[in-house]
Amino acid sequence: MNKMYSNKWYIIIFLLPALILFCGVLIAPIGASGYFSFFDWNGFTEKTFIGFSNYKELFTSDSIGFMKALGNSLLLAVLSVFLQLPLALALALVLGKKIKGERAFLSVYFMPVLISTVVIGQLWLKIYNPDYGVLNVALRAVGLDNLTHIWLGEKATALGAVFVPILWQYVGYHMLLLYAGVKSVPPELREAAMLDGASDGQVNRYIVLPYIKPIIKISVIFAVTGSLKSFDLIYVLTNGGPLHATEVPSTLMISMLFLRNRYGMGSTIAVLLIILCFAFALLINLVFREED
Amino acid sequence: MKKILALILVLCMVPFMAACGGGGDQGASDGGDGEVTTLKLWCIATESDANRPAYLQAIEDYEAAHPNVKIEMEAFENESYKTKIKAAMSGGSSEDLPDIFFTWGGAFLGDFVDAGKVVCLDDVYKNNYTEDQIPSVMLNNSTYDGKHYGVPTTFNIVAMFANMDLLKQAGWDKVPETYEELTKCCDDLVAAGIIPFGCAGSETWCVTEYLEPIILKSIGYEDLGKIFAGEATWNDPDIAKSVNTMQEMIDKGYFDPSGVALGNDEVKANFLAGKTAFYQNGSWNTGEVAAADFESAVAMFPVMNAERSTPNCAIGGPSDHLAVCADSPNADLAAEVAVALGKEICHYNYLNAVGLPAWTPDYDTSSLEPLMVDIGNIVNQCEGLVLFGDTAMSADPAQIYLDYVAKVYGKEIDGQGFIDGLTKDLQ
Repeated sequence: MNKMYSNKWYIIIFLLPALILFCGVLIAPIGASGYFSFFDWNGFTEKTFIGFSNYKELFTSDSIGFMKALGNSLLLAVLSVFLQLPLALALALVLGKKIKGERAFLSVYFMPVLISTVVIGQLWLKIYNPDYGVLNVALRAVGLDNLTHIWLGEKATALGAVFVPILWQYVGYHMLLLYAGVKSVPPELREAAMLDGASDGQVNRYIVLPYIKPIIKISVIFAVTGSLKSFDLIYVLTNGGPLHATEVPSTLMISMLFLRNRYGMGSTIAVLLIILCFAFALLINLVFREED
Repeated sequence: MKKILALILVLCMVPFMAACGGGGDQGASDGGDGEVTTLKLWCIATESDANRPAYLQAIEDYEAAHPNVKIEMEAFENESYKTKIKAAMSGGSSEDLPDIFFTWGGAFLGDFVDAGKVVCLDDVYKNNYTEDQIPSVMLNNSTYDGKHYGVPTTFNIVAMFANMDLLKQAGWDKVPETYEELTKCCDDLVAAGIIPFGCAGSETWCVTEYLEPIILKSIGYEDLGKIFAGEATWNDPDIAKSVNTMQEMIDKGYFDPSGVALGNDEVKANFLAGKTAFYQNGSWNTGEVAAADFESAVAMFPVMNAERSTPNCAIGGPSDHLAVCADSPNADLAAEVAVALGKEICHYNYLNAVGLPAWTPDYDTSSLEPLMVDIGNIVNQCEGLVLFGDTAMSADPAQIYLDYVAKVYGKEIDGQGFIDGLTKDLQ
């Protein structure tokens, strides 16, 4: 077997299918997007080469509103890192202590990740319905009528109302990643710390957290890049409205591609999204490396 | 042993590699003697769409009369269909594309025609149909450079449906005919605790169903038609006044405030459930309104400025069409089927009170829904029609226009902001 592994032809043959798939499904579309981003093209007729005009327009045009969309995504990324991940970590630490019903809790918290996003979107649409939605009904029931809102229809509340289900849905995902990390901490390390008189909090702080730091880093990268790419729930709940209040780069890209027939501009947004995701992933790696 | 293991692993790769290869021709047969040719039809007649019964009936009739043709209909939700058909047209191979597809007339179909993606239907019309059957005016929205590319499946206008039971509760036994009467009626409804209008803010085309008739009745069909066609600018003070009028109506509580977050289905359901007194939308809703548990009536939005507009004009026209993909391997057959099918869909849509006939009726219409007859009478008196703005304009300006309409409904801009913005962005 070792002889087989050392033969470069075997390695090439076995890697080739994956390499073809990777290039065809990932690299080629990125290259195509980069190419189309330099054209004014409606998707059907002749393309016109316009250089970096799409990039310039994207950052300067008020009618496109890319900066606002990017700001919304970055806000979601901040909330994901500072709200969603701490919550997921807290749940993982609690569940990692072999509490009663650990499996059941794990399944329940992970359930939103398994449910189709469209179903979750429909569920939250009903929760937010201004007339019969459970949120407004509950507020009215406790006499807080002045706090009722048209949650997804008002500019002031729409963004927050959209972020809540997004953050809620993926808490379970990050929790599972971190839970696996917590469970991988060698019991003897915990026991040794406990014998030395460390409290639960101290064990978590000085033993568990440093041990699962690589997983925390992965979670942060997933949370940030996932926020930049967020699309499905926003599309179902508001499709970027009202008045672009919940617009994110992905919804803007779809709007450019298929509503405004601006394939060049849509490709430009796609390219910028890829660059941003790579940049943030590298930045997060750098931050964690410096801490090490 | 190692060689055998390596051989097994290589053999295991074969199915994966084969899966990456192109599939064989799986398209329809070419229609030889006795062979059944299958044509793919894409449309938006989903289960909840009022057009669906007409599509199913027309297909059933056609297949019964032509046993060698099978039509496979695939229906998609309205908004997602726009994405799907554009994506398929821009990059799809003939295997990904339907033979016949639903399309809106005007600029939507025009983009595909410009790209050479649509079959010209002139020969089919010339050889099989007469001007009496399909008046040329009904083909205007699918005619480009004098050639016909679409088959109208219905003809619709924006109509103001009224729940007469609610109007009577507010002391009105007829639909208001003037703007003064309309505001008085709305005031009376509000005083009686009844919401006059519902408008779906999450679907901006629904807002245009209110705003466009107000603008139409302020500046007239000729001027609005020129603006939508890009032959005149939006910089018209009467348009600003129309926008301000609509916002005043919102301020006075004439519109259901929940509507900003609702979709069209929910707003329509509210009207059909007796929650709002009026519902201004396409005449394709006639059948559903007529079937509601209340006495219904239909009218047009009243004239706002008699110096420039007449009561006898409307927003609408033959907008829904069938067209044939140029890449279809059975394009000639698909063209014949599309025209025949479009005619029959139009027939059943009219009888089902889903739309007026773009094709001259050659069947018994004595059992027509009275509300549909009323809309027919309104259209018969019309001197001019202006196609829906987002259909008349090409995709990019249409979306910019819809953005401004949404800003009007959200009260982010006033009338002056509306005309200034559109003049600047659509110059």
